[in-house]
Order: sequence, then C-alpha cells, then structure tokens
Amino acid sequence: MGAPRDDRDRARSGGPGDFRPGAWLQGTGPASEIAICTRARLARNLQGFAFSPSLEDEESERLYHYIVDRLQLPGLPEQLNVVDLDPVDDLERAMLVERHLISRELASNGRHTGVAVDYEESVAVMINEEDHLRAQVFCSGLQPDEVWRRIERLDDALMQRLPMAWSEEFGFLTSCPTNTGTGLRLSVMLHLPGLVWSEEIDKATNTAQKINLAVRGLYGEGSRALGDFYQVSNQVTLGRDEQRIREDVFMAVTKIVEWEQEVREALLRGSARIKTLDRVHRALGTLERAQILTSEEALGSLSALRFGIHTELLDGFDPLDVNRALLLSQPAHLQRYTRETLTPEERDQRRAQLLRDLLGCAP
Amino acid sequence: MACQKAIATIVVMDLTEGSVSGSQHVCAECAEQLGVTPPKQPKFSTEMLEDLLGGLQPTSAPEPNAEPAPTLACCPGCGLARDDFRQKGRLGCPRCYEAFRGELLPLLQRIHEAQAHTGRLPSTSVPDDPEAAVERDEAGLSDLRQRLEDAVRGERYEEAAQLRDDLRRAERSDER
Repeated sequence: MGAPRDDRDRARSGGPGDFRPGAWLQGTGPASEIAICTRARLARNLQGFAFSPSLEDEESERLYHYIVDRLQLPGLPEQLNVVDLDPVDDLERAMLVERHLISRELASNGRHTGVAVDYEESVAVMINEEDHLRAQVFCSGLQPDEVWRRIERLDDALMQRLPMAWSEEFGFLTSCPTNTGTGLRLSVMLHLPGLVWSEEIDKATNTAQKINLAVRGLYGEGSRALGDFYQVSNQVTLGRDEQRIREDVFMAVTKIVEWEQEVREALLRGSARIKTLDRVHRALGTLERAQILTSEEALGSLSALRFGIHTELLDGFDPLDVNRALLLSQPAHLQRYTRETLTPEERDQRRAQLLRDLLGCAP
Repeated sequence: MACQKAIATIVVMDLTEGSVSGSQHVCAECAEQLGVTPPKQPKFSTEMLEDLLGGLQPTSAPEPNAEPAPTLACCPGCGLARDDFRQKGRLGCPRCYEAFRGELLPLLQRIHEAQAHTGRLPSTSVPDDPEAAVERDEAGLSDLRQRLEDAVRGERYEEAAQLRDDLRRAERSDER
C-alpha cells in the first residue's frame, strides 16, 4: 500500500506513457478555455461482411485480421499502432475509455476488437465496434475544419485499401440507421460552469437541439454531465453533407461559447462576484484539504478550479495540470497510476492525495 | 429477484465508480420492485427505434387467401428477418438496406428528416488506385453474382434478368 514517492514528478515527466493527457486535453487551440476539444468520427463498414453485431465468431475473427493487415500496409497519412484488445484486461480497457480512445461498446462487446492509435492519441480507429470501423480524430480547442481535414485524408486512405459498403442512395451503410449517410459525428466538448451556475444551461441545450444537435455528458450517450462538461454533436447524418454538418456544429458551439463568456463576465460583476469567489475558493479548499474525494466531487471541484483559473480569480495554477488531474482522478486511471487494486473507499482517499500532489497543495 | 416469467427487457447494472461490477436481466415489473425506474431516453435510442419500427404496419393487412406480398421476409445477404429488423431497428448487413427499403425510408425520414444521402462517396472522393480498383470490381462482381443467384432461387425473374444484364456489363468492362 506504499504511496508513490513523488506523484507530481512522475506525472510531469510522463513516467509510464499512459499518464500523458491525450491530444484532446492539451488545453490549446481556439476557444480552448471553454471548448476543450473537437472530435470527428466516421462510421464505416466493409463490403462482403455482415455488420459486426451479426457476424459469427469465425467471420468476426476473419474481419478483424483482414482489417488489421490492411491498416498495417504503409502509406496511411497517420502513424498508427494497432492495439489488439483481446489480451487487454478490464482495467486497461476502462483507461482507454476514460482517454476517449475507445467506446464503452468496444470495451465490452465480446468480439475480437482492436484500436489503431497514433503516438499523440489524436487519432483512434476502432475495429469491430458496432460498425467494422469507427475512425476518430481529436484536436484540442474548437477546430472543426482541422479535424475534418485530417479525418478526410485518413478516410481516403482507408477507402483505398478497404472496400467500403455504400450506395448512391444511402451513402455509407451502417449497422444503425442513425449513422447512415455520411457516418460523421462531429462533437465538441464544452466546459460550461458559468451557464450551469447561473441556471441558463437549458437555454444553451435547447438552442442546440432546435437544429438537431445532441447535447450529452462527458462520455457520450447516456452519460451525465459531470463537472459541468458537455458534448454537443450532430444528430443528423443523412441528407446533410459534411460541410453543412461542420457549419451547424460550429455555429451552435460558437453561440454557446459566447453565452458562456457573457455569463462568466456577469458572474464576476457586482453582488454576484462574492458568491462566485466563494464558490471557487470553497472548491480550492476542498482540493487542498479534503482527505476523501469521490470522483463526482473531484470533477465538480476541478471544474470550479478551472473556472477560477480562466477567469483570473486564481493564479499560480497551470491549466494543463487541471486537465491532467481531470483525467487522473477517473477510477481506472487512479488505480493504474497507484499500481494497486483499490476498494472504493481507498480510491477516494487516494484520489484526494493524488489531487493535492498534482496541484502542488499542502499534504 | 427475476420472476422468470415475463421477458427481460431491462438490464440492471451495478456500478462501482463507473465500472460494471455486476448485472441482472429483469422484466419491467421486477425492475420496478427493485426500485429501478426506466432512464430518460435519449432522442434516438434503440428502444425508440424499436417503437418507430413497431409502428410501421404493412400498408394493408393480408387477406386470408391473397397472394403473398412481393416483399422479402428476410434479407438475402445475412438472413435477418424483417420482424427482427422491425423490433431492433438494426440492420444486419449492407444488403439489408435494399431488402428492407420499404420500412427503412420512413424510418430514415423520421430520424434524419431526409431519405437520401448528400455528401462524399468513395467513387467521388478516392483517387483511383489500380489495386484497390481491381478489388472493388471483384467485390462488386461477386456481389452481383450472389444477388442473381438469390433472385433466381426466389423466382424473382424480372429482377434476375436485370441482374444478369448488369453482371454481363460488369464482366465485359472487367475484361477490358
């Protein structure tokens, strides 16, 4: 049960490569104070195979190797390393989910699955998910054109080496009709504490929903908006081309970012300011002093801390440390990081300790 | 806890810090006894798709002695039954799109407010790579042969004749 000697140094120097935050948490790029990252995802299937959920085991295996062989041919625009998930245990899978490199579906579907990832963790191609291929590209900040440019090049290269299933009428054919057509899901992860605290978040989500955009929690469908983090993404994939999808998402997100900025300014003015200061400092106090921290409380406190840093109510903190803390305080990362299997109670203690170390607070 | 009588429609998962530590499949009644209320549905959940599909009745009820409707009961590509598609809202293979086109179009209209694709396609976006082109042609030919075989077996002669012509054309262009 010995504590790591120096968590902070270990996290800073990278230690095991796992503890670098991925490309999506770099904290750079346009509007990154509010728009944490932009992600593009394409759903693709191969001709000549049933969709993954309908495949017999033997065919599923054949599909897996067929794709992996083709992915390993030279000439892809991204340097990808294929991770075979068969020998990967549940904890490591949960870490990949927390890093957004694989979906919960891929982690638990029982088929032979894998993911091809680049070193920066800005590209991840899932194999044998609900669709044969789910390619994703991440960029820090609000960068819909950049993620599209990269995923389009990757898609071109994939289509050259794999015969994709498509039709003139329906576009790319997918297992679920909610993805048919472009197969494109473009999403932006937003940190919206201002809108949540001032109870205006519904206004933002309603606006997005009016133009058929979905608003979800941090880990996609069905997940809760923990720590004031939201994902806005297109719902419609058929009948609107890729450019229109980019424009719709960009327009809605730009509007929401503007609202968040306006609300933040209002929260720092007049009588609201003292309440906001109180909220931020209470969160800091919790992070500095708490001995037991649940994942939910940690996310809530880190959200307030992140708000305090970006509104200059607090100084002396590196926003990248906060992003790193957001990732490392997740259950799987916490256990992997401490190299121990922990009970939930032990986890909460260890989380409190880890966050104090990471943020340079007193023990 | 499960009654073993009604069909289990709800999976109750025990979560410990976000990881699944156990699960049980129960019917709606048992779930209620367990104190589990159904979660708020996202806009297009699988369940909602099932509802949508369930609502798609055949245009007219078949008369007792009427000729069977000229539609497919299951997909010739993967064998997925039309009823399964109706229930689950998931397609089994690319060929299901054609096999269940009648059901699919209104469903797509409801989900996307559109029935046809706009945007990029392999044919317009990929610069031609000779090896891949050969592979695509081969895949296309074998798909056509398979569809022709299915049409003949299903005694759909008009469709078979069309497919035979398509196949001949494709084979001729392949020889060139």
